[in-house]
Amino acid sequence: MSFGSPVALLALLAIPALLFARSAARARARRNAVRFPGVPVLAEVAGHETAWRRVLPLGLVLAALAVMAVALARPQTTVAVPDERASLMLVLDASRSMEAIDVDPSRLEAARAAALAFLDEIPDRVRVGVVGYSDRPYTVVRPSLDRTATDGTIRSLEPLGGTATGDALQAALEVLPRRLDAAGRRPATAIVLLSDGQATDGADPVAVARRAGSARVPIYTIALGTPDGVVEGGPFGGVLPVPPDPQTLAEIAAVSGGAAYEVDDADRLKEIYQRLGAQLSTKREEREITAGFAGAALVLLLVGALLGARWQGRLP
Amino acid sequence: MIEHRIGEGLHRPPGAQGPGPIPPALVQGLALRLEQRVGGLLPGEHRAAGAGSGTELSQIRPYRAGDDPRSLDAAASARTGEPHVRERVPERVLTSWIVVDVSPSMAFGTADRLKSDVAHGAARVLARLAGRGGGRVGLILAGAPGMPLSPPRGGRRAVLAVEAALGGGVATDGAGRRDGLAAALDRVGRVAQRPGFVAIVSDFRDVAGLDRVLSRLGHRHALCCVEVHDPREAALPAVGRVTMADPETGRIVTVDTSDADLRARYAAAERHRRGALQQSFRRARAVHLDLSTQGDWLRAMGGGLARR
Repeated sequence: MSFGSPVALLALLAIPALLFARSAARARARRNAVRFPGVPVLAEVAGHETAWRRVLPLGLVLAALAVMAVALARPQTTVAVPDERASLMLVLDASRSMEAIDVDPSRLEAARAAALAFLDEIPDRVRVGVVGYSDRPYTVVRPSLDRTATDGTIRSLEPLGGTATGDALQAALEVLPRRLDAAGRRPATAIVLLSDGQATDGADPVAVARRAGSARVPIYTIALGTPDGVVEGGPFGGVLPVPPDPQTLAEIAAVSGGAAYEVDDADRLKEIYQRLGAQLSTKREEREITAGFAGAALVLLLVGALLGARWQGRLP
Repeated sequence: MIEHRIGEGLHRPPGAQGPGPIPPALVQGLALRLEQRVGGLLPGEHRAAGAGSGTELSQIRPYRAGDDPRSLDAAASARTGEPHVRERVPERVLTSWIVVDVSPSMAFGTADRLKSDVAHGAARVLARLAGRGGGRVGLILAGAPGMPLSPPRGGRRAVLAVEAALGGGVATDGAGRRDGLAAALDRVGRVAQRPGFVAIVSDFRDVAGLDRVLSRLGHRHALCCVEVHDPREAALPAVGRVTMADPETGRIVTVDTSDADLRARYAAAERHRRGALQQSFRRARAVHLDLSTQGDWLRAMGGGLARR
C-alpha cells in the first residue's frame, strides 16, 4: 500500500491533540463538579460503569479519526488488471530436434498443445503473434486480436532444419508494437520463447536478448526436453543426441529481464504457459482505495456515536 | 494522639450566612417541650440519687456581708453568739454533650441557608437549653480533623466555648471520613461516664458504624438526634448530564439526570436511607428532630419537639 499524498498523514496528530483536549476538558469538569452530598447514594444507584464501556465509544471514534486521516492521504494499492494493450509474441522452435519423443508424445506436439492452451488462457484483448522458426524465422504472424492466424500457424508447425534462435527473436522483436500510447506509456510487450536446443544458425541470441532488454521487452524462455533426448538420422545414420540448452536460454531471460523455465514433460509445460498467460496479460496498477477507508471511518464513527449515546448519554 | 485545637482544618464555607436570629423567648418555649421529651433530664428536673437537691450540708461558716439572710442557721448562731450561715452542696448538675457534625457535606444548601448554618443554630439552641440552671455543656466537632473537643463547662463560659467552636466553620472538602460521626459518639461514650444528655446535630450521611454506637449511647444517656437536610438531597432535578463531586471524599460521579428512571431510583434510595436512619434513632430511643435548610428551622425544631 502506498499513499497519494502522505503529508496528509500528519492529520493523525489530531488524535493525541484530541485526547489532550479531552483530558483537559475532563479535568476542568472535575474541578467544576457540582458539590453534592448525595453522591454516595447516587453512585450506588447509577451503578458502576465498566472500563471498556467507558472507553469503547471514544476508542471507536478515535479509530474513525485515524482511518479518516489515512483516507485523506489517498491510500493506493497495487492490483492486477487486464492489460488491454498488451502484445505477446510466441516464439516456437520447430527445428528437427523437436521431433524427439522424450516428452510425451513429442516435443513439438507437447509445445503445440501447450501453446494452444496458452492462447485459450490469455484474455481476448491481448494481441498475440507467433514466430515459428528453424533455420530462419519462416512464419511470422504479427500480433493481432484475431486468433485464427495464430492458431493455424501453431497447428501447422513442422519439425525441420536447424535452430536460429537469434534471428527468430529479432523477428519477434521487430513485429512487436513500439509506439507509445496516448499517456506516453510503452505498451506492455513480452516474448515467450520455447526452444529445445542450442542455437545453431543465425545471429547471437544473447545479443538480441540484450537489445530486447533495452527495449523493455522481457523474454521468457522455456527449455523443453530431457538431456537424453535423441532424434534419428544423424549425419552418419543412427541417432543424434539433442539435449536442451538451458544455460543459453537462462542467459537470454536474464539479460532481457524475463524468466527462464526448464520443463521435461507436457503437463509442466502447460502449467508454465498458464502462469505466463496470467502474468503477461495483466498489468499491475495503483488503485486509490480512499472510498473504502472513508466507508470504514463512517461505520466506526456511527458505531462509536451510537454506543456513546446509548451508554453514556452523549457523543464520546 | 495529637491534640487538635478547635478550628484547625476548618473553614467558613462560602455562602454561609449564620443561623439567623435566635429569639430567647422562643428558646424558653423550646426548653419546656424538650423537657417533656427527654424525660426530665434537663437541669432543674434532674433527680440526683440520695439527698434532695440543694439540701445537703456542706459547712457552717460565719456570716459575711452579702450572704443570703435566709441561709442563717439559727442553732449555730445561738450556740456561738455569732451569726452563721449554712452552706449547701449544690444540686448535682447535668452534663450535656453536643456533637456537631462539621464534615464537608454540611457545607451544602440550596434553599435559605447551608446545612452547617442550621446545624450551628441548632447546636447553639441546645447549648443554651442544656446550660440553663448551671448545667455543664461539652462539645465535640465530628468530622473535623482530630475530632476537637471542648470539655464540659457551665454557664456563659459554655455558651462562649460553643460559639467559638462553631465559629470555625466546616472541614475542607475531601477530609471526610465514613465513620467520623461514629468515632465522635464513641468518644462521647467514653468521656461521659455519668448519665446525661447527648445531642447529635448532623446530616447523618457518614453513618458507618453509627447504628451500634448510637444504641449503646441510648442505653445510658438521653439522646436527641437533630437531622439536617436540604430539599435538593431528596430528589435529583432533571438538568441533563452533570458531574458531581462528593464533598466528603472528593469522589466524582457523572450521571445523566434526564433519566427519569435514575431519578426515581435515587429518590427511592434516599427515602430508604432516611427510613433506615429513623429506625436506628427509634432503636436508640432518641428524639428525632428533622430540620431543613428551607424555611424557619427554629420553628421546625419546636414543631418536631411538640410531635409525639
